[in-house]
Amino acid sequence: MTAVVDVEQAGAPAPAAPPVAPRPRRRWARVVRFRWLLVMLLPGILYFLLFRIWPMWGAQIAFKNYVPFLGIQGSEWVGWEHFAEFFSNPDFPRLLGNTLILAALSLFVAFPLTIVLALLLNEVRLSVLKRTVQTLVYIPHFLSWTVVVSLTALLFAIGTGPLSSFLDGLTGTETNYLADPDWFRPLILLQTIWKSTGWGTIIFLAALASVDQEQYEAAVIDGAGRWQRTWHITLPAIRPTIIVMLILQTGEILNTGFEQIYLMSNALNRTVADVFDTYVYFTGIQQGAYSYSTAVGLSKAIVGLVLIFGTNWLAKRFNQQGIF
Amino acid sequence: MRTRRLAPLALLAVGSLALAACSSGGSGDGGGGGGGEALDSLSIMAPYLSATPPEADDKVGTELSKIAGLDLDMQWVPNAEYGDRTNVVLAGDDIPDVMVIQQKSQGFVQTAEAGGFWDLTDYLASGDYPNLVTENPDVQQASSVNGKVFGVYRARDVVRTSITIRKDWLKNLGLDEPTNTDELMKVAKAFTEDDPDGNGKDDTYGMIIPAWGASIGTGSPYDAIETWFGAGNVWKDEGGKLVPSFTTPEWKQALDYEKELIQSGYVNKDYATMDGTTGWNEPFVNGKGGIIIDVQSRASQLAELFKEQDPKTYDQKVALVGNIAGPNGDFALPTPGYSGFLAIPKASVQTEDQLKQVLTALDKLSSKDAQILENNGIEGDNFTVDGDHAVFDKSKQDFTDVVSGSWAQIGTNVGGFEAYKPKPETEYDAELEKERADLQAKDLKKAVFNPGAALVSKTYMSNGVQLDQVIADARIQYISGQIDESGLDAAIAQWKSSGGDAVTAEMNELYGQLG
Repeated sequence: MTAVVDVEQAGAPAPAAPPVAPRPRRRWARVVRFRWLLVMLLPGILYFLLFRIWPMWGAQIAFKNYVPFLGIQGSEWVGWEHFAEFFSNPDFPRLLGNTLILAALSLFVAFPLTIVLALLLNEVRLSVLKRTVQTLVYIPHFLSWTVVVSLTALLFAIGTGPLSSFLDGLTGTETNYLADPDWFRPLILLQTIWKSTGWGTIIFLAALASVDQEQYEAAVIDGAGRWQRTWHITLPAIRPTIIVMLILQTGEILNTGFEQIYLMSNALNRTVADVFDTYVYFTGIQQGAYSYSTAVGLSKAIVGLVLIFGTNWLAKRFNQQGIF
Repeated sequence: MRTRRLAPLALLAVGSLALAACSSGGSGDGGGGGGGEALDSLSIMAPYLSATPPEADDKVGTELSKIAGLDLDMQWVPNAEYGDRTNVVLAGDDIPDVMVIQQKSQGFVQTAEAGGFWDLTDYLASGDYPNLVTENPDVQQASSVNGKVFGVYRARDVVRTSITIRKDWLKNLGLDEPTNTDELMKVAKAFTEDDPDGNGKDDTYGMIIPAWGASIGTGSPYDAIETWFGAGNVWKDEGGKLVPSFTTPEWKQALDYEKELIQSGYVNKDYATMDGTTGWNEPFVNGKGGIIIDVQSRASQLAELFKEQDPKTYDQKVALVGNIAGPNGDFALPTPGYSGFLAIPKASVQTEDQLKQVLTALDKLSSKDAQILENNGIEGDNFTVDGDHAVFDKSKQDFTDVVSGSWAQIGTNVGGFEAYKPKPETEYDAELEKERADLQAKDLKKAVFNPGAALVSKTYMSNGVQLDQVIADARIQYISGQIDESGLDAAIAQWKSSGGDAVTAEMNELYGQLG
């Protein structure tokens, strides 16, 4: 990550890199010299080969009528049938809509909040207070979604939950917040913010720590206030980090947390709760429609790929560094 | 030289990764019958409902292995994730010799139709395996896939649905047990509005309904009410033609009834979100709600909970009412009569000789001695016999729970239940037991069976579950007031146009063939 964060200072050669392109023999010498580093790289490479690349062989069942007993080779080839079925299914627009809305909420509401919180923490002078707050906001990250959803269910239980009673008092009507489709997205967003905002600040805080302090001192002498310093020094300094994090977030855009949504959905809010991931689980794992659900998952992956390339391209367009 | 010391560690990590890959990718053979030779053990995958599965050296397992003549190699899977695991196992390499199949899912039916499971129809009919001959051919037929029997079904009581009601509340208000749906509505109203517990507070409601995760036709309170109204049971035979129950006018009438119950506040407000595992008993025992539509054994559970509260008065709290009449006749909702079946995959049991070996073992596992082991445990250890009843040793309750929650799951009892029933502890328990038997006999006469139970339509297999979900969601949205009648009609129209019409046509074609 540091390599990425430091892109602005790129140009300063890494200390070990030779100044000119190495000739073959020198290259081999480097391999020998850094052999242990390369060995340590192996687990990572193996991980990707075994768990990311190798399973792609199985993705072909999306184009077949896969019956386990017949095996991947023996199953009948049906081409795009499962994709056609999915795209013409009335579920498709609903799933896509729900997925994109939830993803947009987390990208445009939860993500900026992370930056805001990091900036706030950065402004805290008292280091004891800063560290205490940091630790406290990290804690929710370590709770599983099951715990978070159970807490939500207790807080918002109809008639008896403290928060639902409070809201009922404000509105004057009794609502089942957990089942109301209008409340599904706000609740999901609230949970996401509560659970992940604190943890997300880590990288921004690291970036903030590396901002040149002399710039602040100079700005103070020039009479810049806190807002001006934040706006003209801090934010531009961490802009590359923000862009990189934004692109990475976009890659995750369609991976709307399966567990969270699955646990929060029920018969009454399913119209807004169903997303690609829950649908794949429902059709593939629960019903054993292996080929169809693989086709759905593959479609999702392709949309995700397009989004990440798109964001990267946009970032470069606006004169920022992309990640590749 | 830090890196020097770290290097072996890194290598170790690489090695273990590679090993992990081998063990998951390698084709571990289920029962050891890789080739054509005779099996020397029998691997069975089954769900468990007890808190923990039996230990590997469980006494019941040892005894059952002796009876079966083969070492039982049990693969216990928690019941909650059993359906998921079935589909995952079917797609993997490590397939057991015998699998409990809980539902005819797409994964199972496709595999069966491709020849992945032995067709047992003729073997079971041959009479070579006397304990596997069904006493109830209709149920065996219902468990089949279009007439082909792919497994030995696990027999269950046919009549289980029943209303359970707070007896003392009825008495406090001077009401009788309801005999029809109108009276049930009146009782629900009185339980909500007339302070049945006499504490002067408006803190009660009528009926308790938990969130129902499953789809339509799964024995939910809603399904029961719809059957009472005459909407049939999943499918309805109208003049020799099958129609989906939710397209009948009776179904809509039943939905309006359910809507009235909910909109009038006679049902717990969190009916769409309440957790059913704990939520059902708690409000009943704590005096919040007074009516439950569920299985008969719910009454015994509730009585047991009341006994813990107050052993003196617990016999005045719970009344078992059974199925009640609707405005269009008197109907009862039965169960399918079975709960899944024991199927034999061809991937692990490859030759007919091996199959016969497995069937022989299953036959022995359905004998009287085996049934007692599976359902009661070890005689003289955790229970003793008193007449026709088993008396359980309270100090060995944990073991008894494991037996009834796990080993009972591999019992089929297709030839009849021959193990001992638990001896009722008190007079009231015996009374409840008798009432249950009486209701079973009475409701069986008016039971409405699903005429399409054995039929598996091709279109239904590919997207029937999503189709059913459309209806299940529309139902609860309608009774909650989220959508109106036109919304409900739109959902039914969507069901029809996105495959439902094809399902109906295919079902009728199969129905004609199997008549």
